Amino acid sequence: MAEPDHRDRGCPVGRDEERWGWPDMRFSGFRLVAEALRGHSGWKPLWRDPAPQPAYDVVIVGGGHGMATAYYLAKTFGQARIAVLDKGWVGGGNIGRNTTIIRSNYLLPGNEPFYELSMTLWEGLEQELNFNAMVSQRGVLNLCHTDGQRDSFRRRGNAMRLAGADAKLLEADEVRAMAPFLNFDNARFPIKGGLLQGRGGTARHDAVAWGYARGADVAGVDIIQNCEVTGFDIDNGRVTGVQTTRGPIRANTVGVAVAGNSGRVMGLAGMRLPIESHVLQAFVTEGLKPAIPGVITYGAGHFYISQSDKGGLVFGGDIDGYNSYAQRGNLPTVEDVVEGGMALMPMIGRARLLRSWGGVMDMSMDGSPIIDATPVEGLYLNAGWCYGGFKATPASGYCFAHLLATGRPHEVAAAYRLDRFARGHVIDERGAGAQPNLH
Amino acid sequence: MLIPHPLLGPRDAQEFTYLGDARLLERPDPAAENAEARFCDYVYLRDNPAGVHRELWFHEHGDRSWLVVTRDTVTHEILGAELAADVKGAGA
Amino acid sequence: MTDLTPITALGTAEAPSVAFGPLTVAEDARLGLASLALRRGADVPEPMGLKLPGPGDCVAGAGVGAFWTGPGQWMLEAPGRAEEDFAAEVARNAPGCSVTEQTDGWAAFDIVSDAGAAPVDALLERLVNLPPASLLPGKATRTVLEHLGVFVIRRAGDRLTVLGMRSAAGSLWHALTVAAKRREDAG
Ligand SMILES: Cc1cc2nc3c(=O)[nH]c(=O)nc-3n(C[C@H](O)[C@H](O)[C@H](O)COP(=O)(O)OP(=O)(O)OC[C@H]3O[C@@H](n4cnc5c(N)ncnc54)[C@H](O)[C@@H]3O)c2cc1C
Repeated sequence: MAEPDHRDRGCPVGRDEERWGWPDMRFSGFRLVAEALRGHSGWKPLWRDPAPQPAYDVVIVGGGHGMATAYYLAKTFGQARIAVLDKGWVGGGNIGRNTTIIRSNYLLPGNEPFYELSMTLWEGLEQELNFNAMVSQRGVLNLCHTDGQRDSFRRRGNAMRLAGADAKLLEADEVRAMAPFLNFDNARFPIKGGLLQGRGGTARHDAVAWGYARGADVAGVDIIQNCEVTGFDIDNGRVTGVQTTRGPIRANTVGVAVAGNSGRVMGLAGMRLPIESHVLQAFVTEGLKPAIPGVITYGAGHFYISQSDKGGLVFGGDIDGYNSYAQRGNLPTVEDVVEGGMALMPMIGRARLLRSWGGVMDMSMDGSPIIDATPVEGLYLNAGWCYGGFKATPASGYCFAHLLATGRPHEVAAAYRLDRFARGHVIDERGAGAQPNLH
Repeated sequence: MLIPHPLLGPRDAQEFTYLGDARLLERPDPAAENAEARFCDYVYLRDNPAGVHRELWFHEHGDRSWLVVTRDTVTHEILGAELAADVKGAGA
Repeated sequence: MTDLTPITALGTAEAPSVAFGPLTVAEDARLGLASLALRRGADVPEPMGLKLPGPGDCVAGAGVGAFWTGPGQWMLEAPGRAEEDFAAEVARNAPGCSVTEQTDGWAAFDIVSDAGAAPVDALLERLVNLPPASLLPGKATRTVLEHLGVFVIRRAGDRLTVLGMRSAAGSLWHALTVAAKRREDAG
């Protein structure tokens, strides 16, 4: 039976598609020049805005990792009849709220190969999506301030290299050459060196959301915004669909990837998760001339910073530390973060803060994510990304798509099981135990 | 956030450290038959509600009392605070 | 025997004292301290005739004082007796209680005003994030000051003592004197 062409519903799609093998919105230098000449009148929306159909094969809840999942499901795993439902708009969740750092500098075998897969997907992402996600491998430098910390960085660097990632241990003078403005001789926390991942860096978060959305749309996925899932239809232990604010939608397979709302959404299916929702804040200064070469993280407090291509210093620190669904944090954490910044690079005191905001994240009991089936047949979960899931977007989407399409976990995500807590197989990078606000 | 300490009046949340859901007061009986499964739930699983949440805060930079604070996780509004010792003593 | 020279928490031979307008900030190197905690279900003792205060309060008796530190817990103070075994005396006078010597754990700084309560109130606004009611004369409380855990004891309108951990005495002294200076500069 022929699949219905969802793309004919909702808003029109350009007919350039046949010509390009892509719809209207393929980008190129030629296209840019042509549009400049005709007053930019030819640009179209990047994706359609279809009404939800009564039934799909696969419904994915959440348009962050969920959008990447839908893209790979359609593009790589050849599935059809897919919808992504989001209660808000594409890019309105944490995928558009983070500090844009991408890296694969994890220690544990359950994590590192996964994040390294993500890094390789980042490296090809713009070609894959024909979308400028501004992936910039400007390097991620973690500073160390004690001999013990240097030893642990050496161990981590070796673990990274064993998994095929790049890592370089720097002496203090090498760090000084890269970032002379740092407070090297701080009496309490002198900078002793650092661990550099040269392939790490930043990517423009909104563009990642939009690029995957455009790619998924082109591959036939229905992107349904302003559509909140309010319940699951479960029949004899098997999911048969979802209830939404835009009506019921039937589905054989439902994948949930709702970041900070996992507890709330899976509660609708009667599940309690090893997760607490917490708020993390981020900050941007006014635009400045280029000052900070890559991503720099402070090893004696929790502070990380980079400079956007627009010139703003983008930085963050610890989570606020208490359960929150508020998408905004409180002032004590603001003070704590900027104090970390002042301790690391006193010159930051001259910059003026332009904006700050918060995002709600799943903080899991071991600080690591979950990509797994659930006790409800046909219902799958992608959750627990804590404050580090932006870098995971490509691999998380890819591995979740793999799980949804094949029923089996992808080999690099095989440790991200929901029952690992009960089995004692936690993946605890921090060694903090079952205390989500410490991860 | 200001926490209304039952003994000391309003105190800035900065003086406290946060532990989590006040159900952590209800430690399972290690001698019970299904103790292992219940401990697994107790240690790892949370209700994590969006809305009213009863949670444990420790007045570390204060009188070192454990409090059970009732707070709305959507608005951060604090609705009340009790001494955890009283809550536990009342068998709640 | 080795000839040991006592030094203050700030590392000097004599406790420093500096005036900032009407306020004088001085280290009190001679304050004896002992903590007292009730065992479960025990009655509240009256060591050395002191009626131990309730939450958030302090009292001064004859040569000794006390302030509340937590439920069933107090700190007892003995001005001028840092060199004695004050804890032993408290233990003798509070049978059945847990008593611990505290003198060496803390650095004490007195702030005295010669212009009444107003300069002390103004300084406290700069030092700690607490409602004024918890800092009235006769109040004592533990709180945070420049990231340091401290006890703030308002002995009288024109007198204040701040106790901080001895290992951070220099940081606390810096915080107190900078705040006093800024208050003076602000008029
Ligand atoms: C301030 C901040 C800074 C961060 N910095 C970094 C960083 O530098 N590097 C990094 O790797 N990670 C970072 N992270 C973490 C990263 O952003 C997240 O881990 C990741 O984006 C979460 O996955 P997601 O993209 O799927 O989430 P989201 O984009 O939040 O997607 C979840 C979606 O689910 C939708 N949803 C929720 N409930 C429902 C419902 N009932 N029905 C329908 N839809 C629903 C939401 O609207 C949302 O769009 C940061 C996070 C924050 C908050």
